[in-house]
Amino acid sequence: MMEKLKLAVFELTDCGGCALNILFIYERLFDLLEFYEISEFHMATSLSGENHYDVALITGTVSSQRDLALLKEARNHSDYLIALGTCATHGSVQASVEGSIRKKLEEVYGDKGNPMRALDSKPVVEYVAVDFALPGCPYDKEEIYQVLIDIAKGVEPVRKDYPVCVECKLNEYECVLVKKNLPCLGPITYGGCNAACIRSGLGCIGCRGPLPGEVNPASEYEILKDLGYDEDYIIRKFKTFARWEP
Amino acid sequence: MIIELREFTRVEGNGKAEIVVEDGEVKNVRLKIVEGPRFFELLTLGRHYYDVPDLEARICAICYLSHSVASVMAIERAFGVDVPEEIQLLRELGLIGELLESHALHLYLLVAPDIFGYPDAIRMATKHGELVREGLAIKAFGNRLREIIGGREIHGINVKPGGFGRYPTVEELELFERESGALLKLARRAVRLFASLEPYGEKAEHFVATDGYLWGDKLVSNEEGTFHYTERIEERSLVYSFAKQSHYNGEPFLVGALARLLLKADSLTPMAKRLFEEHREKLATGYVSYNNLAQAIELVYSLERANEIAKTLLDKGLEGENIPIAVREGEGIGYVEAPRGVLIHHYRIDGSGNVFYSNIITPTALNHAMMELSLLREAKRGYGELDECSLIQRLEETVRAFDPCISCSVHIVKL
Repeated sequence: MMEKLKLAVFELTDCGGCALNILFIYERLFDLLEFYEISEFHMATSLSGENHYDVALITGTVSSQRDLALLKEARNHSDYLIALGTCATHGSVQASVEGSIRKKLEEVYGDKGNPMRALDSKPVVEYVAVDFALPGCPYDKEEIYQVLIDIAKGVEPVRKDYPVCVECKLNEYECVLVKKNLPCLGPITYGGCNAACIRSGLGCIGCRGPLPGEVNPASEYEILKDLGYDEDYIIRKFKTFARWEP
Repeated sequence: MIIELREFTRVEGNGKAEIVVEDGEVKNVRLKIVEGPRFFELLTLGRHYYDVPDLEARICAICYLSHSVASVMAIERAFGVDVPEEIQLLRELGLIGELLESHALHLYLLVAPDIFGYPDAIRMATKHGELVREGLAIKAFGNRLREIIGGREIHGINVKPGGFGRYPTVEELELFERESGALLKLARRAVRLFASLEPYGEKAEHFVATDGYLWGDKLVSNEEGTFHYTERIEERSLVYSFAKQSHYNGEPFLVGALARLLLKADSLTPMAKRLFEEHREKLATGYVSYNNLAQAIELVYSLERANEIAKTLLDKGLEGENIPIAVREGEGIGYVEAPRGVLIHHYRIDGSGNVFYSNIITPTALNHAMMELSLLREAKRGYGELDECSLIQRLEETVRAFDPCISCSVHIVKL
């Protein structure tokens, strides 16, 4: 039998969902374990202490010196590093809190110092080079399953290149932007969630970040303005999961 | 001398502990929450109320729906909106799904390996595969409930002020009824397993919960009638932790499954009540390790209750109507029982529907002082008696008994 690949899961600051989501693959986790052995995953196992990983998954934002040290450590010891989830790829909601770290600490903890060495939250991709980035708050677990299988088979995983709208059309959901005038970010958001929010009859909140390339945020901005949403509201919505300018 | 414990494993989020030893004796323990701060209260400021529950859901993955529901309830109270029984029952069904998903994860995947002497559930599965699969089956059912009621397994946006984006279908309700009945047998087995755990940690004396089983208008304790959190619970910042510490009337206290059972056993379903009575004596000692047993009994409660709710809704038929919201200036508190205890969301909203004050206290922040006290007790008991490896193992188990949700605990409150 071929030797299994060493897999690591590192959690920086986040809600825990991106690490947890791996366990939500349920029985197919055992299929993955045909190819991988888990060397580091502190939410799931008490074992650790390897010094080389074939594949490392990093979730969360860099929000403290501890996170930064852990990230560098992981990068230095991994062959293939995946930024997993919108915190790691774009910063997600916790990086959208405005103001400097000192000001925020003072407002919430009532303390002028920074004894725990907190940093302003930033995505992993701002600090290190990554081999693959898979956004989503949370990412779709089928996607990471496929990515890990691809890597195990020696195939470079494929990045999706279409917006949420495509998946919405494939599911034949009614367009909530046109029919219900809801502020839906589907046209400019990176697909892969199978249009989860539109399935509930609600607008896409943009949790997978902007689709790079041909999308047109300026025209989305105009559409929402024509629907009567005010400028501040639209810009805040655009900036909630990723810091992009319309 | 300070013994530094490396970061806890098999808990959600990043935390560790320091044991302070002087003259060969354990003097103090510091529970350090090193997960970075997340500032959710600041994130919600200036936001339109309609978008707030979707943001708050991101506080936690294990209990996102508790955050959505607490947030929605606080908003509805601020606007003076009452929702009908149907919407309440569906929210309860979602919270039950969360309880099942979270307790099953904790008990089968995180705690059970301690009982059988494995570093994790995956390695435990080689010999105890049946048990792991049973846990995963309960967890998957809980997540199915979250997916249908909440909109997604993690961070769904279906729970809205005044109702839901989408209501479940008759087929989905029938599935809930069928599956909850079928899984009950597995949950009863879990109660037997977790009843075998020995007592450890501190004996809690003060217990706090919401006045209803999974949510309430106010809080209750074992010492007094109902109260608002502002009257009795005080939070303090610590220099060594990103999570604040809470005290009830100046004392450490316990929230979570054990507190719920001891304070609200009257509202349990028939089989859960019988199991509670069977183990009442043990549970009433207050040892925090029995929180695991209490969680196993709650698996039984949740499955019985899910079955009841599905039946009720199928008999009555769903209206599927949302209650319209009229925006006005107001203040509201949402009290929900997240799987690991009391969760508080408190907002003030202005006349245009934007949040201008926001305060969130999570169960792990409420339990923080009791966790520290339990570690101190176990460190005192084990230091010099156990070898370092066994001592650390026991301290980890003690923290694990609380089923801490560290990610949740770090977005703290504005005083």
